[in-house]
Amino acid sequence: MTKVMQGIRVLEVAQYTFVPAAGAILAEWGADVIKIEHPVRGDTQRGFLNMGGVTLDPQRHTLFEHPNRGKRSVGVDITTPEGQQVLYELAKTADVFLTNYLPQVRQKNKFDVEHIKAVNPNIIYARGSALGNKGPEREVGGFDGTCFWSRSGVAIAMTPEEMEGPLGQGIPAFGDSIGGMFIAGGISAALLHRERTGEAAEMDVSLLSAATWASGASIAQVAETGVMTRNTMPVSGGASRNPLQGNYRTSDGGTINMCTLSPTGHIQSLFDHLGVPEAASDPRFSTAVALFENAGACSDILVKAFAAQTFEYWRQHLKTYSGQWAPIQSFHEILSDEQALANDMIVEVPAADGSDRPLKLVRGPVQFDGAPVVIDRSPIASEHTEIVLMEIGMEWDTIEAYKAKGAIA
Amino acid sequence: MKPGTRLKSATCDTEVMVIRCGEGQIECGGAPMDEAKPAEPAELSADQSNGTLMGKRYVDAAATFELLCVKPGKGSLSVDGAALVTKDAKPLPASD
Repeated sequence: MTKVMQGIRVLEVAQYTFVPAAGAILAEWGADVIKIEHPVRGDTQRGFLNMGGVTLDPQRHTLFEHPNRGKRSVGVDITTPEGQQVLYELAKTADVFLTNYLPQVRQKNKFDVEHIKAVNPNIIYARGSALGNKGPEREVGGFDGTCFWSRSGVAIAMTPEEMEGPLGQGIPAFGDSIGGMFIAGGISAALLHRERTGEAAEMDVSLLSAATWASGASIAQVAETGVMTRNTMPVSGGASRNPLQGNYRTSDGGTINMCTLSPTGHIQSLFDHLGVPEAASDPRFSTAVALFENAGACSDILVKAFAAQTFEYWRQHLKTYSGQWAPIQSFHEILSDEQALANDMIVEVPAADGSDRPLKLVRGPVQFDGAPVVIDRSPIASEHTEIVLMEIGMEWDTIEAYKAKGAIA
Repeated sequence: MKPGTRLKSATCDTEVMVIRCGEGQIECGGAPMDEAKPAEPAELSADQSNGTLMGKRYVDAAATFELLCVKPGKGSLSVDGAALVTKDAKPLPASD
């Protein structure tokens, strides 16, 4: 894939997924991403080995690998004056400073925007936060489960009213991964702005802002109409007005999602595929308006038809249907999905365990020039300390002196 | 031995950067390591073939020696016959 960020250095002082994911995206695009990690513990996420009922091998740590592919790791204790000096030396060589440390921690350890801009006025200072860099809660931290999913309104909108309580996020780092891409997009725009004007902007993305943007269509609707749309309980059948919109159960318990929001032009094709071609000339169903008025009767036809064949049958058979639909697949199935593979959405990286079994990761959502991403695994904690510091011109004696003080590892 | 020196295994593909060292012979696969590769490879000792992993740091019990693997191979790293072990991050426990 074209390395559009070649020659750009990102200094990442960040943990978990949200902000590191932005670094991973930029690494896929060709940037040199230097990740600063605690010299003993590493990124706290390295310890997230027991999540979602799964225990991961630390050498095959998919939750760490996903947001840290293709980076180099330098072990620096940013709480020491010597460690801060090392950070400044690195910042002098970087185009972007990327962080999700809380404002009070950045102040205390002197790597807030004024400290970093003092050593490199041309650096883009990119912050990821829980709830935004302004307001009374700017010093409060959070995860995507708290800010993206819970506080934003997403959890309630996702949950049918009939259920006892709000659904959980269900997918680890879901909001983080979405938000990380937003940060990467913002950084790209800031780099372009710097190229054109010489001005290095400060930028912010919060988990809350990522969620409100992703939910923007609903939130604007609530602001305008006062009506909030929520998920409905799963049934086999069409929507109350549009029978071509809904989930339909197959004979073996699979589900086909029909989503033909504008039925005009698709009615004959639909009934042909369902094996009831004559229904298309039934005046109750022959036009979009008639379908909307007779939604229940039409839905009954669809329910019956879908229930007569298997999921695999419909998945193949509907390929020639002219309207919009999808098989409801699981993540198991996406790993072998023909379109996902044809578009290089799965990428392999070597595992840190030295085995010949690579890890399969999902590549970032952007592809340049139609070519697959080639990317290395995530770094081992402090893997590149000496290599990077020598690269920026630090003498070995200086490196040893910093080590002796515990400032780096 | 000077820190920063790169050493090559006589028995396998392993290469390391010497990060820290004291008195003693650094070995891989049971044979001494050197800056140059020998013309004839030495035999990989069967009990010294646990392999090295790219990017891992290997240390001795007293933390006198630290080697960074810059190229992996089949041999095990040792100093004067005493096996080196990987220095791993010690993350905080966490769970959901």
